[in-house]
Amino acid sequence: MELPVVWANYISVALFLILGIGVWTIPKSAVVPEEYSGQTWRDLRWWATALIAFQILLYGYFS
Amino acid sequence: MHPIDLAVVLAYAALITFVGIRISQQIKTAKDYFLAGRSLTWWVIGLSIIGTNVDTNGYIGASGNAYSIGIAQANFEWIGAIPAMIIASLIFIPLYWRAGVYSIAEYLGLRYNQAVRVVAALIVTTVSVFAMGVAMWALAITLETFMGWPIWLGILTSGTVVGLYSIAGGLGAVAITDSIQVCIMFVCGLIIVAIGISDAGGAESFVSKLTAANPTHLSAYLPADHESYPWHGVILGLGLVLSPAYWVGGQAILQRTLGAKSQWDASAGMMFAALAKTFVPVLIVFPGLLALVMMAEIDYPDMALPWVIKNVLPVGVSGLMFVAIIAALQSSIDSSINSTALMITRDIRHVLIKNHDPDSDLKIGRFLTLALLLTAMSIAPYIGDLGGIFNFLQFLLSLFQGPMLALLLLGALTRRATPMAGIFTLVSGVVLAALLSVVWELNLLYVAFFSFCYALPTLWIVSGFTEPHSDEHLENLTYSPWRGR
Repeated sequence: MELPVVWANYISVALFLILGIGVWTIPKSAVVPEEYSGQTWRDLRWWATALIAFQILLYGYFS
Repeated sequence: MHPIDLAVVLAYAALITFVGIRISQQIKTAKDYFLAGRSLTWWVIGLSIIGTNVDTNGYIGASGNAYSIGIAQANFEWIGAIPAMIIASLIFIPLYWRAGVYSIAEYLGLRYNQAVRVVAALIVTTVSVFAMGVAMWALAITLETFMGWPIWLGILTSGTVVGLYSIAGGLGAVAITDSIQVCIMFVCGLIIVAIGISDAGGAESFVSKLTAANPTHLSAYLPADHESYPWHGVILGLGLVLSPAYWVGGQAILQRTLGAKSQWDASAGMMFAALAKTFVPVLIVFPGLLALVMMAEIDYPDMALPWVIKNVLPVGVSGLMFVAIIAALQSSIDSSINSTALMITRDIRHVLIKNHDPDSDLKIGRFLTLALLLTAMSIAPYIGDLGGIFNFLQFLLSLFQGPMLALLLLGALTRRATPMAGIFTLVSGVVLAALLSVVWELNLLYVAFFSFCYALPTLWIVSGFTEPHSDEHLENLTYSPWRGR
């Protein structure tokens, strides 16, 4: 309760980092169907990583 | 309204109706109607999810909130959405898809038992009917404000347009028209940003004018003692409980992913929606900030967006922006009607009526869509008087979210959760949430968080003493890629 507001940004960034690590614990086979396995853009873990990186930038900027 | 603006509005109504009716010609079965024949591609699903998510309360209300509290309003689109959408995309959508269900309530019925399915469907259905009435009323108010139409004419016209494509075309028509509507919304949002920043003298000037009088308006979080949005409440209640409950368990949102042409399209659709969601503050937060920078003379914050439309946008574009607001509402109403009709047809009727005829699902679904639309139109003019009832229903739904999320999480991610523990946790969790809310008068963000904190261990512990489903039954109902499945 006593933490300054900026800690909310730090916590948000930390949560997004944890989520980013969690995303990469999911095996590729569970995310990309076999027929698409040669197409990197179909790997949704990269989509998630880009989204998370952008969120970290936003919470870094608006602190 | 200027004749050019009026022409833009009429052209939009004609386009949406034409597209919806064209798609309706492909409807042959209940699966075509409720799940678009499992034919939707990822980008249509993504745009449709955003169309369903952004409504006029979100549009006008969020702009008003941004006028009052600044960029902190964007938390509802960022930490209050993106993490849950990523989790939904990678874990829950593949699970629902593999289970082959039509609804989240149906999944809960398979994972736990039919009692959980019916309770979930009844609560969501009841709240949805009133929510549709509110949306219809808000649409009529918008039409009255901008075009001077009487409330009854606004309800009749908007109900007819929504009804023409959603009754005939089902989810396919709803998803395609949603996509068109979201594109219109984003085009209008970008035009407002371009004109607004230009009028303010550039981006740097915009920021300095904004923060000169409102130094906290570019801070993502508000102080811990803020009455409505304390930062820890936003992270714990919104980010960790309410948002996942909405994105992982919201039928209107997830129905279009269940209508995907493949599991990958379903997951990619949600991920694409998350990308679009990141930029939704451009549509709904920026106008509120712009009204502040331009020192708008308005009586209350919710007038920020109407002020921007009237005073900043040129003729033609203001008509398009007006269309965007109508589109936001229509895309939420049509999605709610379609998903509610589905839940009544399958999750309530199929369970409670033992000798139901599955072949009549399409006919009953269309009839229910019409009935729900007429009900929403009938109660819409009286929504102001029904405010107490609606608030009660919203309150009821908020009590349900924490325990429901616990059931979905443990049900999907482990094989431990049992049917008896599911019912016990759901009922006791809702009772606890009611006590926290009524007796201790906690903010609903904290009620959601604490009821979830109760429900998760309770479900785990009680499951240890009760009979689980067999591993064979749970094979397609739990997510376990780490076990090499």
